[in-house]
Amino acid sequence: MIKIRKGSWSLACATLVLGFMLAVQLRTTADTRADFSAQRAEDIAARLVETEKERDQLKQEIRGLKSASGDAETGDEVRMRAGLTPLRGPGVIVRLDDSSRKARTGENPNLYLIHDDDLLKVINELRAAGAEALSINGQRLTGTSEIRCAGPTLSVNNVRSAPPFEVRAIGDTDALEQALKMRGGVADTLKVWGIELVIETADDIYIPAYKGALTYTYAHETEEEVAP
Amino acid sequence: MILPILGLLVGLAIGFLAPVTIPLAYAKLFSVALLAALDAVFGGLRAAVDEKFDNQVFLSGFFSNALMAALLVFVGDRLGIDLYYVALLAFGFRIFKNLAILRRCLLRKR
Repeated sequence: MIKIRKGSWSLACATLVLGFMLAVQLRTTADTRADFSAQRAEDIAARLVETEKERDQLKQEIRGLKSASGDAETGDEVRMRAGLTPLRGPGVIVRLDDSSRKARTGENPNLYLIHDDDLLKVINELRAAGAEALSINGQRLTGTSEIRCAGPTLSVNNVRSAPPFEVRAIGDTDALEQALKMRGGVADTLKVWGIELVIETADDIYIPAYKGALTYTYAHETEEEVAP
Repeated sequence: MILPILGLLVGLAIGFLAPVTIPLAYAKLFSVALLAALDAVFGGLRAAVDEKFDNQVFLSGFFSNALMAALLVFVGDRLGIDLYYVALLAFGFRIFKNLAILRRCLLRKR
């Protein structure tokens, strides 16, 4: 054993501090290792892929069984899907307005206004979250609805309206709200420019029916073709 | 020799029990300071075996080395110079050198 004549107290002080630092460092590295276990992430990802495969198989099974039992969708449901009936249900109301911030000199003032693509992003996100019916400022969105800049206004179903915009969506309230509030999502991006986006959830939302023209001039029904 | 080991054990106990964690941003600085402290302790042990131990030199070296190492790495980070690796290399080198000298001294004494 080493014999120390002088300075064993100061060495003891130093080793005390050293021991403390060692322990803290050990704990810190242990924490970070536990947090970022890539192995676990991979495991979970693999399980997700497997579960998705299983889900798709089950979906196909459902489809097969449905067609086998001859349960064709009724006319009512088709009308509902086409947006021909007004609907009620739980969902969210999203209010959007131009930024109250003034554009600084040299900056493009367009950045602080709502554009069609902002609204398209909101609509897309809501649809991805499973929205069953959507409307913008009282215009029901159907399969052929457009969302387009028309000068300072926005055209939906060929009806123009000016901001503020009110987007209504019926669906799973939580899912719809989370989809918009997702970090780095639509609400976050729009907030950068100061565009006002207020999300309100409600148990009973009214969405009007589509009131535009229904006739198809160019398209006509045909037999189903098998893809080559 | 008993006192320093006791100090180490008490320090370890305090470190494990105290609710202190290093934020990720400062983990690099802390590890450099830790290495500097380790180097200083080995240097002190070597001096003690050589019987050239000086209290003031040792204590001032212990604390100022650790702080200065962390500070230099911090400044280097701001300037875009990776002084971290330089500190690792320098202190690592010195630790091994001190260990070798310590071993030789102990062997000669026996």
